[in-house]
Amino acid sequence: MREFEVVSPRARLVRILLGSWAVVIYIFLFAPILTLVLFSFNANTYGTFPFTGWTMHWYGQVFHDYQIKDALFTTLRISAEVTAIATFVGTAAAFPLVRSRLPFRSGIRIGMTLPIMIPGLLIGVSLLVLLTDVFHLQLSEQTAVIGQSVYTTPFVVLLVAARLQGFDPALERAASDLGANTYRRLRYVVLPLIMPAIFAGALFAFTLSLDEFIITLFLIGANNTLPIYIYTQVKFGITPEVNALATLLLGASLVLIAVAFALPLVVRRARRLVRA
Amino acid sequence: MTDTAATAPAAARGRSRLRRGARLAQYAGFLPALVLFGAFFALPLGLIVAYSFWETIDYNVVHHWTFDNYRYFFSVSTYIHTMWATVWVSVIATALTIGLAFPFTYWLVRYVRRGALQRLLLVLVILPFWTSYLLRVYSWLNILGDGGAINRFLQWTHLTDHPLSFFLYDRPAVILVLVYLYFPFAVLTLYASLERFDWDQFKAAMDLGATPRTAITRILLPQIRPGITTAVIFVFIPILGEYLAPQLVGGQRGVMIGNLIVNFFTGAQYTRGAAAALLIAALIVVLLVLFRRSLEVEDAYRA
Repeated sequence: MREFEVVSPRARLVRILLGSWAVVIYIFLFAPILTLVLFSFNANTYGTFPFTGWTMHWYGQVFHDYQIKDALFTTLRISAEVTAIATFVGTAAAFPLVRSRLPFRSGIRIGMTLPIMIPGLLIGVSLLVLLTDVFHLQLSEQTAVIGQSVYTTPFVVLLVAARLQGFDPALERAASDLGANTYRRLRYVVLPLIMPAIFAGALFAFTLSLDEFIITLFLIGANNTLPIYIYTQVKFGITPEVNALATLLLGASLVLIAVAFALPLVVRRARRLVRA
Repeated sequence: MTDTAATAPAAARGRSRLRRGARLAQYAGFLPALVLFGAFFALPLGLIVAYSFWETIDYNVVHHWTFDNYRYFFSVSTYIHTMWATVWVSVIATALTIGLAFPFTYWLVRYVRRGALQRLLLVLVILPFWTSYLLRVYSWLNILGDGGAINRFLQWTHLTDHPLSFFLYDRPAVILVLVYLYFPFAVLTLYASLERFDWDQFKAAMDLGATPRTAITRILLPQIRPGITTAVIFVFIPILGEYLAPQLVGGQRGVMIGNLIVNFFTGAQYTRGAAAALLIAALIVVLLVLFRRSLEVEDAYRA
């Protein structure tokens, strides 16, 4: 089907139309983001049109703003904790999910993806009620960590479970026949093979946590993460400083995600090279 | 699933060797997840259900079972109006998202050679999805706002001499941003099912004299219907509980039920807020139960 031996004028027209549609879609997807990046270099003090000249001034302001620095460190602390929790809990859960003969396995699978599917707003308000009204906790970084962990763990489960699913059980049986006990099988056979997936899961969890907004808004209390700080600024309109901060945050997310996507491919290629 | 079936006898042999304790130990991995999701996901959601049937007296929640919160919600015409508006906005935004995503995904699967290029083009679409949700909403302010790209352009070309505000702070702006937010989601789900479709069947239908349109409606669409359902559900559900997009670009006229819920909770009206939240949750549960057969959750695990 893909070779198109016979090309009628009509088929060519359809092809051109669909191709142009794809171009429109990519413009639609990237225009807002690119506009934001462009304006972060704009000398105009209103942070919008017209473009009056290039400047790095706003980036300088971002790096000297102590509120932003505070928010950055809070964000990094929270994200580190969330990544550790999500990676551990998610990886541990992926094993029985794929390997044991569970009753209601598909039900449990749907259950595990629920925190991604339902609106974050519901997770946020319900945890707010539980933690403040029932447990009488003070809202803090820790309560935000709890909320974000609930939301990010399913992503790790999905990634690691997918990798385990494609895992050749013969490898483990071979190790077992050669006298490896459960610990050694896990340590020297299973973990090295699923490590790229675990690492990718950790990166996804970290990125999601870095950018998480709605759950954090309810649970962070008086503190600020970067998204929360941006939100409080944006309420008063566009500022060039926020554009610069936003560009930095977007760049960080894109780099992390690109690594997470590329990592399994790179590892696979490297393995193939070693074997060859 | 097929490979587990093929290795089932081998796995069974392995299992018989396991001691009883080891058999239980295979479930041990669930323990942390059980604690996390049990205590901080299931429990709070259950609590919201209970709260929605309790009453607030002098800012204290009293455990009296009552329907008052729901009765109150449905007694205020603005709330009912907002609820219907939310459903409508969600329906329109979902339809637009799928409508825009389908031709694109069709092009990607059928006209781009499978391999590195196709993968790259797909990743480019999904990439924005992994960046900050807040920033993706915010970026539209630069375009739609009073001083945004569209207005500046109109003024520059002298089509108008003062900024037009109808681009922002109304429902169309909300719908536009929602489509933008969930477009990658739709493409990803549609791609999963289109990619698996056997195009030889398509070719066979055409060889037998079917027009492309007949081939699409009679051969392609029926087979990928589960994928379309999944896409619809996965786009519709998060939009129902949307808060940020209407907050930032919707203004007074773009309010959705998510904004009401937040107002209730920040105003310490927990029980009323819980009732409003439960209305959304109930709608989601109904949708998931209705469509559970055609949902392709397993896909997410394979992707």
